[in-house]
Amino acid sequence: MAQPQLHKKTNSKLEETNSLKGTLASVILLGFFIIFTWVGVYFLFLDRF
Amino acid sequence: MHMHKFEKIWLIFGVGALLVFLSVLGVSAFYLGNQPPSCLATIDQEKVDTLPPFNEPGLKKVEGKDWDYELIFVAAAFAYTPGEVEVPLGAKVKVIATTKDVIHGFQVAGTNINMMLEPGYISEYVTTFDKAGEYLILCNEYCGMGHHMMTSKIEVVE
Ligand SMILES: [Cu+2]
Repeated sequence: MAQPQLHKKTNSKLEETNSLKGTLASVILLGFFIIFTWVGVYFLFLDRF
Repeated sequence: MHMHKFEKIWLIFGVGALLVFLSVLGVSAFYLGNQPPSCLATIDQEKVDTLPPFNEPGLKKVEGKDWDYELIFVAAAFAYTPGEVEVPLGAKVKVIATTKDVIHGFQVAGTNINMMLEPGYISEYVTTFDKAGEYLILCNEYCGMGHHMMTSKIEVVE
């Protein structure tokens, strides 16, 4: 039967993908990039007439 | 529901940023009274040349208003009237513009004045010209064959 093989594979992969450190770092980086560009454009807007 | 600690951190971060952006927008719109350049003021596009203030384009001194001058512009393919205008440094000016034919742009390069001129609508922007210099006005809405040559000029002089 083909089904027992399917169960085997899912278990071992779960633990490798459980750490979210990289994801957190990239989310924070992207967040600061968006805030930095937004604030930059906002101050440009305030500076101009 | 189980949620990873990191997930909570970036959700709070994201929601916080969204709230800050929306508050700035809200204060700008409801407290400072900022609005889109074309806000409900309409005009008969066929009669622009005969209707005030567009029958006399250019800079005009006004009394008893929140601004000192009104700067009237009429756009039509492929030019602005006036083609060049001088504004005294430090003047608080209401720029009032409309179009006689199709949609044109009205961007004063290097400033916050950037409006769309739509047939039948009047676009307005109040600002204080506090930096001397020459400012190019250009059309940034494609309006036809001569679009790239459609310009005017504002000179802010002391
Ligand atoms: Cu144009």
